[in-house]
Amino acid sequence: MSTYSDASGAIMPLQKARRATGFGGVVPALAFVAIFFVVPVVVLLLRSVLEPVPGLGNYAQLIGSATYFKIFVNTFIVSGFVTVISLLIGFPVAWALAIMPGRVTSVIFAILLLSMWTNLLARTYAWMVLLQRTGLINKMLMAMGLIDQPLALVNNLTGVTIGMTYIMLPFIILPLCGVIKKIDPSILQAAALCGANRWQCLTRVLLPLAMPGMAAGALMVFVMSLGYFVTPSLLGGTANMMLAELIAQFVQSLVNWGMGGAAALVLLVVTLSLYAVQLRFFGSQNPGGR
Amino acid sequence: MLLNLDRLGWWKYVLLAITLLTAAFLLLPIVFIAALSFGSSQWLIFPPPGWTFQWYSELFADPRWLGSAWTSLKIAVIVTILSVLLGLVTSFGLVRGSFLFRDALKALFLTPMILPVVVLAVALYAFFLKIGLGGTLAGFVISHLVLALPFSILSISSALEGFDKSIEDAAVLCGASPLEAKIRVTLPAISHGLFSAAVFSFLTSWDEVVVAIFMSSPTLQTLPVKVWATLRQDLTPVVAAASTLLILLTIILMALVAVVRKVLKQ
Repeated sequence: MSTYSDASGAIMPLQKARRATGFGGVVPALAFVAIFFVVPVVVLLLRSVLEPVPGLGNYAQLIGSATYFKIFVNTFIVSGFVTVISLLIGFPVAWALAIMPGRVTSVIFAILLLSMWTNLLARTYAWMVLLQRTGLINKMLMAMGLIDQPLALVNNLTGVTIGMTYIMLPFIILPLCGVIKKIDPSILQAAALCGANRWQCLTRVLLPLAMPGMAAGALMVFVMSLGYFVTPSLLGGTANMMLAELIAQFVQSLVNWGMGGAAALVLLVVTLSLYAVQLRFFGSQNPGGR
Repeated sequence: MLLNLDRLGWWKYVLLAITLLTAAFLLLPIVFIAALSFGSSQWLIFPPPGWTFQWYSELFADPRWLGSAWTSLKIAVIVTILSVLLGLVTSFGLVRGSFLFRDALKALFLTPMILPVVVLAVALYAFFLKIGLGGTLAGFVISHLVLALPFSILSISSALEGFDKSIEDAAVLCGASPLEAKIRVTLPAISHGLFSAAVFSFLTSWDEVVVAIFMSSPTLQTLPVKVWATLRQDLTPVVAAASTLLILLTIILMALVAVVRKVLKQ
């Protein structure tokens, strides 16, 4: 009856002797995923070592070129920035949400979910308009007397970082809030009783206890940022390409499947290895977004 | 004491301020777009000089916008139906079955969720060029189904795991056929899982951009692709109108999910 014990390794030899059950149910999905997911991805990656000539030429070109190298660096820098800023903003918000009364938090949770579910293009478009030279943000900063000239906030890495941070914040706040909620308040009470002040309680008790959640969330935001396509290409402008757009360009405008496949494999390997790290050290977590 | 709001002292106000500012930051673009879509300035000046429905009438007068919305809707509905059906059968196999590599298979089914979408988009683009599915409705449905299926399997599996199978067995003992027991006992019990599978699948397909950019043809494109293509030319307020309608649909679906969850709980 209990499916868990059926699946556990201990009784597997016995299972082998018995006929497998329920496999028929997964056959349609397995066929579908094999044909329309596994095969296309594997073929794409194979083309990276087969086209135009068999060998590792595409990879050599990808690593050797200064232009492509700059795109890799860009991608990692932006993703790193987005991760750090999301964490700096996300931790206090998650902390507050974990301890605030239910009525206030439910409103803020609704806002978090709304922004997560709202169409990605709609939100990116909003930032394109908000951040332009004559946009609301520049106007407000000028009205407050903080700047004299409008800042260049869009078509550069600043724009990408703002737009991406905006999109990633809910993905770090929601899981982190769950982690902080699970921390036993009496541990902090004990620390206070032992003479720790507020700052010591924060840095020596709360932060270390929340650390696994923060690391897992940060890793997820970083990985998701690495592969993002829409927001960087609309807010970044042509001079600040990121990895996902490079892959798209190789395939769409240059029709260079070898290079496209090679860049895709690089992104795939980085993504999957970081997920493996996450799974190994922090358990599973549902990612999402595009 | 750090986990007690009343004993935080002045830290409490700092935390509250950051939280409220973040909430405002998250809400700002959404409210801004809705306001702009009614603004009379073509140059997206805010606050606008006046208010108008002009952009909505332009949106509804343009057959290309309507056509792409219709395409999106068709694809999303087909994907939702297929995703829930396939997800249901697969979940029964994964949760109730016992066979070798079951956990590995489950992981394989969920992989499209963590794969960078652009990799999948490029791979499917190449594959569909070869087999002649590029730019077709079937191509759209298949590629969106690849992305929607993991969400469906996840929602339905977790609902099925929470359902006590002995209730279904009891129905069979009472004379129902195994299939009848599944349809009349198990399906209603896991309906919340089916419902979230449907909503997730619909939104995944309806909002999907990256794969759709590669999949679309001059004659067949989804609403997000139309928005994308328009945005690359200029920031016309018509996009604000289209975006506002997209946001409205999201709010309606979210409210629906909340209501259904509440009803099912009772």
